[in-house]
Amino acid sequence: MKKTRYAVRNLSLCTKDCLCLYVCPTGATDTEDSIIDRDKCIGCGACADACPSKAISLVPLEMPLPQPKTEAVVQALDVLTSRKVATEQAARSIAGLTESDTLYKLMRAISESSRIMEEDLMRESSYMLPQSENARAFLQALAANPPAADFPVGKVEELLAMMPFQGESE
Amino acid sequence: MKFKCTICGYIYDEAQEGVAFADLPETWQCPWCGAQKSAFEPVAEEAPPQEAASSSPPAEPGELFDPSMQKLSVGQMAALCSNLARGCEKQYMPREAALFGELADWFTAHSPKVEDATVMDVISQLKQDLADYPEVRQTCVRQADRGAQRVLVWGEKVTRMLSSLMDRYLKEDDAMLDGSEIWVCSVCGFVYIGAAAPEFCPVCKVPAWKFNKIERRKPL
Repeated sequence: MKKTRYAVRNLSLCTKDCLCLYVCPTGATDTEDSIIDRDKCIGCGACADACPSKAISLVPLEMPLPQPKTEAVVQALDVLTSRKVATEQAARSIAGLTESDTLYKLMRAISESSRIMEEDLMRESSYMLPQSENARAFLQALAANPPAADFPVGKVEELLAMMPFQGESE
Repeated sequence: MKFKCTICGYIYDEAQEGVAFADLPETWQCPWCGAQKSAFEPVAEEAPPQEAASSSPPAEPGELFDPSMQKLSVGQMAALCSNLARGCEKQYMPREAALFGELADWFTAHSPKVEDATVMDVISQLKQDLADYPEVRQTCVRQADRGAQRVLVWGEKVTRMLSSLMDRYLKEDDAMLDGSEIWVCSVCGFVYIGAAAPEFCPVCKVPAWKFNKIERRKPL
């Protein structure tokens, strides 16, 4: 049978009952770094069914296409993302200059919180899935036109080579 | 009368508490999320009119977004990359997550420096965000985009909390923390001040271990 999914273990939920070691037919769950061996895994799901702490889930090898986004939504969200970027930067700069421990911590919290909201806004602005066509187009544009001489183009090229993008033929 | 916390939904019922909401001291805080008194609003006694939902214009999604026409700032590209790093992390793709993380760090380091930023700038940006949320939400409702509405529901509450904390800082200055720690929800960005992280995030409901503690500045 063709493999369509593979098992992953969430280490912060895993309580090391190790039933997955008993039930795995290929030994994929028994590894020195606790990460299930993706190549050995045949996607049968026996480990996830047996796991008492619900730490194992099955992930599809190919994700469905992301939900389409409209121009109007992305433009509306862009207003918020841009301002939150400004807040993140202002807060980081204040944190770097202030003598006060309280203001330092508060500004660090504001810049961290703003970044998390920006990430979430970008996710809903058609950049949810790393293997999506949009993510690939973004990386390709960076590789073709690096924003600065010291920009790490090599990392972009490595991502373009290793990421299983949607729509690429097998 | 009842008053509801606009951040976490906690209800203050005057009849049960025996103290009028107006008589609570200005330092009183929401017992669930720590929001200030000003984050509460009175609960309407009668049910809101039923036809409100059906009378809103029908959803009419417009043209699809074309990313090739989009101009992203350096700061936005930083957030785009750290978002994709999280997306890889969730799917247990450690190398890809690390690469996107390094790109995010490069963009963060190369964001235009803000030299003379003040606390008042941060306050006015947060207030402007709060003023913008309703219209942005209207757009997303018209476009029938529930995912985008979800990010706005969380973001507006978190932004209200940030704004409320900044107001508190103006009043209390360095006494604000007074031995407490600052915690940031790693999922929605909610900020909580207390000895320990809340059991559940009041905004996105994730458990306490999803909160990060803001550490003190490292000595030089």
